[in-house]
Amino acid sequence: MSARPVPYDPELVDGLAGFLELVERIPLRADTILANREHFATIIPPMEAQVGELAVDWENRVIPGPAGAPDVEVTIVRPRRAPGAAPAEAAPGVLGIHGGGLVLGTRFFGTGELIDLALRHGVVGVAVEYRLAPEHPGTAAAEDCYAALEWFAAHAAELGVDPERIIVSGASAGGGLSAAVALMARDRGGPALAGQLLNCPMLDDRNETVSSRQYDGLGAWDRNNNDTAWNAVLGELRHSDAVSPYAAPARATDLGGLPPAYIEVGAAEVFRDEDVDYALRIWAAGGQAELHVWAGAYHGFSGFSPDAVVSQAALAARDSWIRRTLGL
Amino acid sequence: MSARATPAGVVPVPFDPELAPVLEFMAASPQPPLSWESLPATRPGLATMFPGPVEAIAGRAVDTEERIIPGPAGAPDIEVTIFRPRGHTAADAALPALVNIHGGGMILGHRHWESERVIQLVLELGVIAVNVEYRLAPEHPFPAGVEDCYAGVLWTAEHAAEIGADPERIVVMGGSAGGGFSAAVALLARDRGGPALAGQLLLCPMLDNTNTTVASHQYDGIGTWMRDANLLAWRCVLGEELALSTAASPYAAPSRATDLSGLPPAFIEAGAAEMFRDEDVDYATRIWATGGNAELHIWAGGFHGFDMYAPESELARAALDARHSWLRRILQLEGVR
Repeated sequence: MSARPVPYDPELVDGLAGFLELVERIPLRADTILANREHFATIIPPMEAQVGELAVDWENRVIPGPAGAPDVEVTIVRPRRAPGAAPAEAAPGVLGIHGGGLVLGTRFFGTGELIDLALRHGVVGVAVEYRLAPEHPGTAAAEDCYAALEWFAAHAAELGVDPERIIVSGASAGGGLSAAVALMARDRGGPALAGQLLNCPMLDDRNETVSSRQYDGLGAWDRNNNDTAWNAVLGELRHSDAVSPYAAPARATDLGGLPPAYIEVGAAEVFRDEDVDYALRIWAAGGQAELHVWAGAYHGFSGFSPDAVVSQAALAARDSWIRRTLGL
Repeated sequence: MSARATPAGVVPVPFDPELAPVLEFMAASPQPPLSWESLPATRPGLATMFPGPVEAIAGRAVDTEERIIPGPAGAPDIEVTIFRPRGHTAADAALPALVNIHGGGMILGHRHWESERVIQLVLELGVIAVNVEYRLAPEHPFPAGVEDCYAGVLWTAEHAAEIGADPERIVVMGGSAGGGFSAAVALLARDRGGPALAGQLLLCPMLDNTNTTVASHQYDGIGTWMRDANLLAWRCVLGEELALSTAASPYAAPSRATDLSGLPPAFIEAGAAEMFRDEDVDYATRIWATGGNAELHIWAGGFHGFDMYAPESELARAALDARHSWLRRILQLEGVR
């Protein structure tokens, strides 16, 4: 049963149409995942184009993957340092995890944020390439991301990063993977994260909330796209009690002892209710979280309608949390 | 201020490190505990405890005016203070209007306590503000307070042309009890076919009389507005029998409303480290479930009223920016930062 949706902010309507035309031209179904990947490859600019004349340096590296799994590619993004300049003070670090429903995209879908943070806050970013479903289902993606966090923390000195000030950050599937990495770091006694920035995170495979029914055949990343993605990740395990919280963090029964969370989502999107619930459960455990649900906003609004008043406010609130959390 | 620990197993969300010293400062000069019996004796000093409107403006470009308006049927008249950008008259282009309802648990406070909040909004956004006085509990239990607030909104809508306000762009707003009253006024306006409000700005609103949420137990003996004060306030407003009851009126405790559809756009803000957090999140969630328009902000480590107690903090500045952004959007204020 679908439910009456929260309406869109009038200023976002054009941006949503643009998003649908650019990103979701082909409805995401089990038999269109590959076609969507090919399409994505045409809309993600290469690193050279993303950086252009901006004062950032970047390099690709290959780092060890999870035990028994292939190596992982990462791209390091950092503020440009003049040749011969003295080493800067240790910088904050951001592990950036791209979106794409766990089935689409590459790390270069998320490097824009890292370039921006390098320029404005001197942050050193690491963008991680993780394996996609359905070829690599379950927790393969989360394990790749966690391997990147371990590598990042272990190589902090080499990268000029303060190991006490590393956060994990991502949007959509990247937000869900960021939440998963925070759970894994807690459970495994791994690197101490300074924060987890979860932008419209994809957390819950069950797709049973009110908001998941309000955006059925409507909007960006609608209920059907979400179903396709979770089916690809979890197959027959989906909806069962056997789903790992590292695949779907909403399945975690204990949200205590996590790093401070920033959770941001639109009021007019599928993920609204599962994201609000995640914040509520962190607070109930005495954990720190900040929650922003932006009026009339579609999935990914701040990236695709960046000049709208609501998007400007969302970017400012996010930046405030980054400053507070990283001591900038 | 009791030093009692929170119940076993309930761990509060910690306070923002920049805010924590404010709490320590407040704890150094504790206020006498509130009680039903002691509340009426506090009334004579309320109006003069804070500067009057002219002193509060302190030379800034804002005009102010005191008015006496009709109260609810059969009830006394109501005092309101109007603030407007300097020199604005009814002959100029009509401005949006904010009707502000002060906080204080429905048992304390005076509109002059919030002159600064209101003046800043007039300066920042170029709006007219009507700051309304209302009767306090326990001397005046439900529905006295909310009916006074509703009368203030009704008067503003009916006299919009006279005060230079645009009747299509009236937002009701308030913090804490004022947020609860604002939500209740929005419900009343819907249910009585009253003024069409452009929005409801609910700052850490006091909505739920049952005191059953996790947050309501996490701030028992710590923070700025603690569980004991809240329990007392609801007793004063609703009486012993209904104080914690789900049978209370939604116009007293808006969380009791079973239908949250057809309401004006809501802005709901609270701290993550305060007892109203969960009831405020729930109110937003239930508005969205009906297809209604709401924006929700829960600020990390914010205690109840953090923006008033620590206005220079990064957290308060960020909260004000989000608030102003929403007002810009709702009131279609072009070019106002």
